[in-house]
Amino acid sequence: MPVAANAESPLPYADTKPVGHADFYFAVNATFRFILQRYGYTKLVDYWRDMGGGYYRPVGERWHSRGMTGVAEYWRAFFAAEPGADVEVIELEDEVRLEVKVCPAIRHLHEHGREIVPSFCQQCYFVNEAIAQPVGMTVRVCGGNGSCTQRFLRSTADLPPQNLEDIAKAS
Amino acid sequence: MIGCYDFCGHYEWTFEWLNRLGGHELVKAYWDEAIHGDSQAHASKLIGEKGFEGMKEYWGPTLADEGAVYERTVTDDVFRIDMHECPSKGFLLRNDLNQYKDYCDHCMGWIGPLMKASGFVIDHEHNHCGQCWWEMRRKDDATPGSDAGALSGQHDVRLRPEWKSTLTDHYERATDPDDKTAVS
Repeated sequence: MPVAANAESPLPYADTKPVGHADFYFAVNATFRFILQRYGYTKLVDYWRDMGGGYYRPVGERWHSRGMTGVAEYWRAFFAAEPGADVEVIELEDEVRLEVKVCPAIRHLHEHGREIVPSFCQQCYFVNEAIAQPVGMTVRVCGGNGSCTQRFLRSTADLPPQNLEDIAKAS
Repeated sequence: MIGCYDFCGHYEWTFEWLNRLGGHELVKAYWDEAIHGDSQAHASKLIGEKGFEGMKEYWGPTLADEGAVYERTVTDDVFRIDMHECPSKGFLLRNDLNQYKDYCDHCMGWIGPLMKASGFVIDHEHNHCGQCWWEMRRKDDATPGSDAGALSGQHDVRLRPEWKSTLTDHYERATDPDDKTAVS
């Protein structure tokens, strides 16, 4: 498995520039469309889950070792490196809540007139759940298409499952 | 959320995910359809409509934004890039990310079909160490790829002492990632 370039950083993979190139959101959206058109929605969900449990596994390992503080540290560092993001990371006793006021990906895709895959915002549930579930956490997403709330919680038996109807279609 | 900061990491991971799903032909189709035809549609439009001028307009800002260390040489007949520090391959090397067998193929995978559709062919080499060179010429121009230093002088990446690699891939008048031959 890949090793973290900088063990001190909340991000598992480090670049030399502080912020990513927003045009890469075009490729993220195009990748979703490619899988969706060739193989359908179920395979796209597989892709998101596999990425969360594979490529992003170091993120979950850090959440496991640092708890909710690690979750908050990750998202603060993550959105600081995403161009145009406006996100408040709220750390509570048993929960980290992201108030996404401006989603950088949706914003950039809108600004450039790109057709967005309708299920685009579901990536945040399926990828994040695949990171969180192995370390005893879970995520609930509400909203989308530019702004949303994401709650990172300890998994408990009485927690209702994610309702995908709560995640807005992107357009 | 899948971000753009570490894009090259999950992009490379995606190649191997697709390779396991549908093999080499699916990966090639991804580069052509999703990257060339969809993600980089703005590049296709610029280069298809403006040729060499479009290449200048596309690769100038894009490579700068990605943090590349490169030199560009343009004449009336050829557009050349000497890539001294590829930001994309550099990210993977620094982070020890190597899920897919040959990440560098992705550039020919989407640029090749783009150039073919726009009436150009490519001479190209990459050494898998974050260094490569590209020469784009009109398809009816039979001029071979240049000798080291002939077009870009001291900026030619082939003049760097570390250029030579046992893993260098070589392309002549190519538009397909499978057109390569190995250089020993």
